[in-house]
Amino acid sequence: MNKAVDNQALLSSLAVAKSNPFAPTPLEERKRIKEAIAKWLLAIITLMLVLPVIAILGYLVFKAWPILGPSFLLENPQDNMTAGGIWAPLVGTFFLVVISLLIAAPIGVLAGVYLNEYAGDNWATRVVNLAVMNLAGVPSIVHALFGVGAFVLFAGMGRSLLAASCTLAVMTLPVIITSTREALSSVPMSFREACWNMGATRWQTIRTIVLPNSISGILTGVILQVSRAAGETAPILFTGAVFFRDVPEHGWEAFFPYGLHDRVMALSYHLFTLVTQVRGVSDEIQYGTAVVLIGLVLFVNALSIALRSYLRSRKKW
Amino acid sequence: MIRTWPRAIAVLGILLALAAGCGKRSENNPAAKGKNIRVEGSDTMVNLAQAWAEKYHKAHPDVSVQVLGGGTGVGIASLIDGNCDMANTSRSMKETEIKRAKANRGADPKEIIVGFDALAIYVHKDNPLDSITIEQLAEIYGEGGKTTKWGDLGVKDPKWAGQPITRVSRQSSSGTYTYFREVILGPGRDYKLGSIDQSGSKDVVALVSKTPSAIGYSGMGYHTDAVKTLKVTKKTGEPAVEPTVETARDKSYPITRPLQIYVIGEPAGTLQEYLAWILSPKGQKVVLDLGYVPIKPHE
Repeated sequence: MNKAVDNQALLSSLAVAKSNPFAPTPLEERKRIKEAIAKWLLAIITLMLVLPVIAILGYLVFKAWPILGPSFLLENPQDNMTAGGIWAPLVGTFFLVVISLLIAAPIGVLAGVYLNEYAGDNWATRVVNLAVMNLAGVPSIVHALFGVGAFVLFAGMGRSLLAASCTLAVMTLPVIITSTREALSSVPMSFREACWNMGATRWQTIRTIVLPNSISGILTGVILQVSRAAGETAPILFTGAVFFRDVPEHGWEAFFPYGLHDRVMALSYHLFTLVTQVRGVSDEIQYGTAVVLIGLVLFVNALSIALRSYLRSRKKW
Repeated sequence: MIRTWPRAIAVLGILLALAAGCGKRSENNPAAKGKNIRVEGSDTMVNLAQAWAEKYHKAHPDVSVQVLGGGTGVGIASLIDGNCDMANTSRSMKETEIKRAKANRGADPKEIIVGFDALAIYVHKDNPLDSITIEQLAEIYGEGGKTTKWGDLGVKDPKWAGQPITRVSRQSSSGTYTYFREVILGPGRDYKLGSIDQSGSKDVVALVSKTPSAIGYSGMGYHTDAVKTLKVTKKTGEPAVEPTVETARDKSYPITRPLQIYVIGEPAGTLQEYLAWILSPKGQKVVLDLGYVPIKPHE
């Protein structure tokens, strides 16, 4: 009797098994569809982030194609800036970036080291942190006006390469400090403790353990500021950029056309004046200048990514 | 890992040495110091200033002229602050600005007129019209203006009277566009929609020469034989004046403004040579080439 019931139960359970116990219920089916929608929607939106980059680059290169070539880079603007190339602004941008980094990088890195390695958690540190964060949020046009007041007028630099570089340096400083701190804090505390336990001072620890292990992060932060400094127009607008000036095109002089107290041409400002002020300039030259500017920024960014991954691959923890 | 550290120092060292070399050079090289002329000011004149700088540098490679636009106001402020050696302006300095310049720089600013900006009114060469008044121009170009046919301007010829006027204008970023609006249409009044906007002074004249019903404004330097220049009258009843170099210079032609350069005190040395060159036939030819009126007849 009991056995018969058991058999009955077994049979009925077999019947259920035949109708696939793993078949999705309506609830599961709905969840699966929603999952698919969510996945594809997010993927499409992510792809749309890439589209503008490709569209901008493609459009610029297409428009500028006839003029792109070595002579466009190596010649000065000619015939009332309607012909020739962009050598003078290119060199100007190079010097602006290099000098601003020479000022901002040492100060930024050293300040970052102090803030991360020495400073205790007290009100003074918090005030400095707050100042750095606020400095990072200041719009670049305000940096420009500060530059006019502080460097051009008060420090008596006049509108010059030096004043423009100093203004760019002030603008890039907070990001260099922040990225340095992040790089330093990614070095495990145990490294420092091991070093201290060997009898090393803080400075010895920083010099031999902390900095070598965080150099990749620090360099990445510094190099990323190159592209920012190269692309900004506002900070140099009032502090040292010029519409036009002649520079030597040949020989040794061509590579050092600007003194520290000279006014310089810069790529970003050059592009602005080409579009808004210069008469009868061809579209190719305008687009070509834009291609070089964006190419420079992308090149520097790629360089920083390559450097970071190379240095990371040598990390041993 | 520790090996990267000295290398980083080495790179930094090289960069510092480069910068030091660059800085040192600017102190030792006479071309970089003293032979610089800093020019700022009017956006209208920035192309002219640039052309002068380019041409002058070809003849005098030791002199470097640095040109910056920004507007007349910027140029005057920089001149007062001592941030530039000469300011290009498309208006005269105000009394207060002259006072501040004297207080700051220790000498009176000196005004030098280097050319004129005269706008000619062009029509097709077969057009029977000879002269036009400022009010008529405003009615043709201005918002709400009622003049649409050549007959409205008093043209009796039946072949012309019924023809609509084709308005040729400039793109809105053009200085000529702004100047024409200020002088002809008056403050606050905008252009009438429906004009054909050209992106160059030359293009305006080219279009007018091919379109019998057209009227256009452009620098008098762009005149060709295929177009006719109208005489312009300030008010009905006053004499109509033809735009010539002379009438532009003595301001009897109503759509003229002087192009000025201000310097502080009596210019000397490189600056004086540069200003003399600007006023010389070579410098004045650049003025004419860019569609402005030179200060002296030089042919």
